[in-house]
Amino acid sequence: MYIFVNAIKNIGRNKGRNILMGVIILITITVSIISLCINNTTNSIIDDYKSRFGSEVTIAPDMTKVTRVMNINDVLSARKTTFKAITPQQYLDFARSEYLKEAVITASAGVAGDGIKAVDEDNNQGVIGRAIDSITGSLSGDDYAMPTMTLIGNQWDEFNKGYRKLAEGGKMPENDNECIISKELADLNNLKVGDKIKLKSSVIRISDNNEQEIKNNTVELTITGIFFDATEEYSTQVKISSLNRRNEILTTIDTMFNNFGSLIGVNAKYYLKNPSMLEDFEAELRAKGLDEYYLVSTDEAGYQKVVGPVEGLKKGSLTFMIVVLIFGSIILMVLSSIAVRERKYEIGVLRAMGMKKKKVALGLWLEMLIITALCLAIGFGIGSVVAQPVSDTLLAGQIENAKMAANQGILQGGPMVGSGVLLGRPIEKEPVPLEQVDVSVGMDTIIEMAVIALALASLASLTAITKITKYEPIKILMERN
Amino acid sequence: MDIVSLENVSYQYEGTKKPVLKGVNARFSCSRIYTIVGKSEAGKSTLLSLIAGLDVCTEGDVFYKGTSLKKIDRDDYRAKNIGVIFQGFNLLTNATGIENIVLSMWISGNREKNKKEYAYALLEKVGIDRETANRKVLKMSGGEQQRVCIARALSNNPGIMLADEPTANLDSDNETAVLNILASLARDEGKCVIIATHSQKVASIADEIWGINDGRLLFVKHS
Ligand SMILES: Nc1ncnc2c1ncn2[C@@H]1O[C@H](COP(=O)(O)OP(=O)(O)O)[C@@H](O)[C@H]1O
Ligand SMILES: [Mg+2]
Repeated sequence: MYIFVNAIKNIGRNKGRNILMGVIILITITVSIISLCINNTTNSIIDDYKSRFGSEVTIAPDMTKVTRVMNINDVLSARKTTFKAITPQQYLDFARSEYLKEAVITASAGVAGDGIKAVDEDNNQGVIGRAIDSITGSLSGDDYAMPTMTLIGNQWDEFNKGYRKLAEGGKMPENDNECIISKELADLNNLKVGDKIKLKSSVIRISDNNEQEIKNNTVELTITGIFFDATEEYSTQVKISSLNRRNEILTTIDTMFNNFGSLIGVNAKYYLKNPSMLEDFEAELRAKGLDEYYLVSTDEAGYQKVVGPVEGLKKGSLTFMIVVLIFGSIILMVLSSIAVRERKYEIGVLRAMGMKKKKVALGLWLEMLIITALCLAIGFGIGSVVAQPVSDTLLAGQIENAKMAANQGILQGGPMVGSGVLLGRPIEKEPVPLEQVDVSVGMDTIIEMAVIALALASLASLTAITKITKYEPIKILMERN
Repeated sequence: MDIVSLENVSYQYEGTKKPVLKGVNARFSCSRIYTIVGKSEAGKSTLLSLIAGLDVCTEGDVFYKGTSLKKIDRDDYRAKNIGVIFQGFNLLTNATGIENIVLSMWISGNREKNKKEYAYALLEKVGIDRETANRKVLKMSGGEQQRVCIARALSNNPGIMLADEPTANLDSDNETAVLNILASLARDEGKCVIIATHSQKVASIADEIWGINDGRLLFVKHS
């Protein structure tokens, strides 16, 4: 106990030296706290994104392979297919894999109302609409039902996220041939729960002898609910009704498969239990008949784009912390070995009075520990205020770097095919890089920092301690006399 | 009864060519005053340091109550059995007088309940008032430091009191006062008092006078 009291008194007795030590410890600790804060926060963000981007499997045609064997006109007109497209049944089959933690399969088809009108249907008569008409119209005859709405099976995400909400008195479709529609669509056509609607869908097939063939399909659905819709109406500049999300009619996946068979566009999202299972999963898909022209991948690019800057920030802050820690410890060790020369006499006196080496060492260590603890408290104060702005500044730099890298990537990469538009579904939004990381001083930071501080204080007093144990008091005291 | 005895003690500082002490034999008893005289650099301080257990001798042995210092915990021995009035005082100069004494009491495991009051009383006995006692040692005169050093040596009531040139820096009034304290330690409290000095006046209070010459300790005279 008296050793502790003496340590506290000693700190006051040598203010100049201890303030100098304290400032260096404070700088080292504050920088470490900021770095650790950033590091721990980014860690959790990266983990989160890794599981989201790293585990979602994309199955898409390998464009470099496809274009090598097909000319571009063939691709655009879909006149000839040299690779086997995935059938809707296959998508379901793929979902049954032990490597998956989850599979979400949605199916959609462009449909036209039989006796009902789509929201913004009049827009279709506009310039863009006519342009589309002229393409499709040239392919078709009067039989062709121009899609004005989209029928989608098994897409409930917006309800979970709160963008869509079922109006009172309605219920979600459970059985075949049940559906829900948006409030706007219902109001436009005076529809209510219990009403039946007729939808028509046409698909153009090119037969083996190069003849066009139009397949029509009509389905009658019962409205079980009407939902409020807060999603963006359009995600592109093209404002034709089939792209308006108010015209999405939602039904069950079975309704889609039973009524439209192979005429639907299927969107399957497969989530691996673990990103490392990608290869095994791919092998399984190949065995189940997936054509070699399909590429099975996880969204590495999206992950890089979103998380890249954060990862850069994390690495940068960690490197910076290590550099500061090394420099801080070196300066502290030099300072404390100078201090111990100054304190040699004091230590000699204590030893002459009969104080044991261990206790002298403990006293020196306690002094450093108390100074460090004070610095730790101040450091946390400064750190919690400064960590956020520092993180923001650093992240801004990282995003700038990532953007430059991404621009180069676009120039090198080939053209992308927007498959979503062709199926009458809006393209999903591009992943946006994280521009803001909320940094906070968490429990993990506090514990890690306490360990670092303890190590720092011990290292600083270690030099002093090893020196004192080398001397017998007689040598220290007689030198002075 | 012998409290300390030296048998064939030689001592040589590390890195030096010549031993400071050679084959020293001596016995010291309780209730007696010894003075050790000799030219400066003769080895008086070195001899006291060996008795104080600040180091072990190169050859021979120092015994405390018959046990070799090599076999006991010399830190404990210094803390409890030895009081040293150093030539250079060896006080903690950044601390106050009272802090020096209280710390010494803590180190030696002194059981005194109110250590601070005990220390004040001790300082008063050697002529240091409370105000001076609360001054940093740095800001004390040589005479005041000397007294604090004596009070510290007394604080743990040790059996052996070593004094290295205790009156070198004092005027004759103070010299007399310090000698009286040392004399009473032997006469009234039964301690073994060993004083290194080259002062005739100091030597005059001794029961035995020893001299160091060329590294050898020689008996000079009984008073
Ligand atoms: N720490 C030391 N290292 C080497 N030699 C020393 C040391 N201290 C003292 N000496 C030498 O030992 C001899 C005796 O010194 P000392 O015991 O202080 O003599 P005295 O007290 O009689 O003046 C001297 O020659 C001195 O130079
Ligand atoms: Mg001397």
